[in-house]
Amino acid sequence: MHRRNYHVLKIASKIIIYSLVVLAVFLSLAPIVYLFITSFKEPDLTFAIPPVWVFAPTTQNYNEVLSSTNFSKYFMNSVSIALITVAIAIFLGSLAAYGFSRFRFRGKFWLKMGALVPQMLPPIVLVVPLYVLFNRLDWIDTRQALIVSYLTFTIPLSIWMMTGFFDDVPIELEEAAMIDGCSRIGALIRVSLPLAVPGIAATAILAFIYCWNEFLYAVILTGREARTLPVIITSFMTNKSILWGRIAASGSLVLIPVIIFALLAQRYLVRGLGKGAVKG
Amino acid sequence: MALTHSKRPWTFHRFIRKFEPFFFISPAFIVLIIILLYPLGYALWLSFHTWTLRTFKQGIPFSDIQNYTQLFSNPDFLNALRITLTFVVCAVTIELILGMGLALLLNQDIKARGFLRALILIPMMCTNVVIGLMWRLLLNYQYGLVNYYLGQIGILPVEWLSSPQVAMWSVILVDIWNTTSFVALMLLAGLQTLPDEPYEAAKIDGASSIQTFTYLTLPFLKPIILVVLLWRFIDTFRIFDVIYLLTAGGPARVTETISIYVYRYGFQSFNLGVAAAASFIMMLIMLVFAALISRSIGKEE
Repeated sequence: MHRRNYHVLKIASKIIIYSLVVLAVFLSLAPIVYLFITSFKEPDLTFAIPPVWVFAPTTQNYNEVLSSTNFSKYFMNSVSIALITVAIAIFLGSLAAYGFSRFRFRGKFWLKMGALVPQMLPPIVLVVPLYVLFNRLDWIDTRQALIVSYLTFTIPLSIWMMTGFFDDVPIELEEAAMIDGCSRIGALIRVSLPLAVPGIAATAILAFIYCWNEFLYAVILTGREARTLPVIITSFMTNKSILWGRIAASGSLVLIPVIIFALLAQRYLVRGLGKGAVKG
Repeated sequence: MALTHSKRPWTFHRFIRKFEPFFFISPAFIVLIIILLYPLGYALWLSFHTWTLRTFKQGIPFSDIQNYTQLFSNPDFLNALRITLTFVVCAVTIELILGMGLALLLNQDIKARGFLRALILIPMMCTNVVIGLMWRLLLNYQYGLVNYYLGQIGILPVEWLSSPQVAMWSVILVDIWNTTSFVALMLLAGLQTLPDEPYEAAKIDGASSIQTFTYLTLPFLKPIILVVLLWRFIDTFRIFDVIYLLTAGGPARVTETISIYVYRYGFQSFNLGVAAAASFIMMLIMLVFAALISRSIGKEE
């Protein structure tokens, strides 16, 4: 009798746990799924009340987005700005991270903390002087202006995340290689770097997502030429009306790579986030 | 013999040894100093000057501390400070509680935990602009799904984004949706490294699960909780995109945080001296709080 009660209780708690988990997953994903569904609706179905869940999907919104606004140009802006930023940040960041991870030297703690502070800075503090400085350089509405701005948060992110990942690569392997006649650079390139690749890739993905998602610098420092996709999405909000179909379609196009990347790197992302990275 | 003259000959090799670490870390730091310290210094300079779009070509006159004094007598700025603090306190508290619950839930013996964790991670990676607009659609008074389904269970429609009493809570709600997973996943990572022995001992001693949580889990997790608190504090304090697209600070400025205030002052009225001063005050407040939290993190370690 006792045993059976225990059993019933266990099953009941299982049911409660699983239904709470399902609820959490549902709440996390439902808004995004709704956005995707809306992007395939005819404009007059977008606001149908009661909401329509079964309908003939149309790519009309996507066609309009892709044709009407130079979307491919702005897509290329987003991609190239993010890629160049990430390449520079990963190069500088992995050198610095290696230095922090492998050497003991005076002032190391303070330098490391110094690299953390920029990540705490509110972007609005930097964007005011950057606007004036880029204005003077005639860099407003150029891609290099955004690349420089994005380096302010991607370099610290790279340093912090990758220091953690290099710490996980045992130093003994490198020492063995150096005893066998490798130079330090040789040991770094042949031994530690290959082992740190997953961590570097996760850092690159996270840095890419932050650049890809960034809005404040992009909306202030660019005009017609160097705009990125998040700014383009907001351009479907006009004074007269909000074109929800196009917002849903362009929003989905922007989200798809983010979601794919996040899922690919999720295991490392959680670990990396614990190492001092945070949403920028 | 050169070697006998001094115990520590200053050879090229030794020189390299001594400066080797700086060879690795200095490139990144030189770049950071150029792109961070210079603009920050410039912002400080700007905050003591008058810069407007109409007058900057004629020169940027020194204005002493006028920008600062002007701000502290400006009701909109004080309002923005108050709004920001309200938002930070409410959002972070709720996120920590919900995140802890979610972490404990995911720490149970459930199947496909890795997969579920990956799904829950998605909201925090999403583009903020898309999040803001998506929720603006969902929370729409007339056509939003939220009001429709609330109506189905007999709740009257709520003016989520247009009522001054509710708008702040809607913004908090969206932030909770956006970032609770971050809190949960960080805490979950912490929960999974807890040692087993104290829990077994507590079980033998007949401790209730609430007792185990308060006297074992919470103290063990304290360092991680503080780190999460630090990052959530920083992120909520500087929030811009999501609120800007949800409400743009309205209605009647009830959701106008400092970032939005500075944006409005700086890039709609183009008064960059005042904007720089306001952003400096914001940064100082933030750094003081961040330093306080960091100090307790340091104590834990």
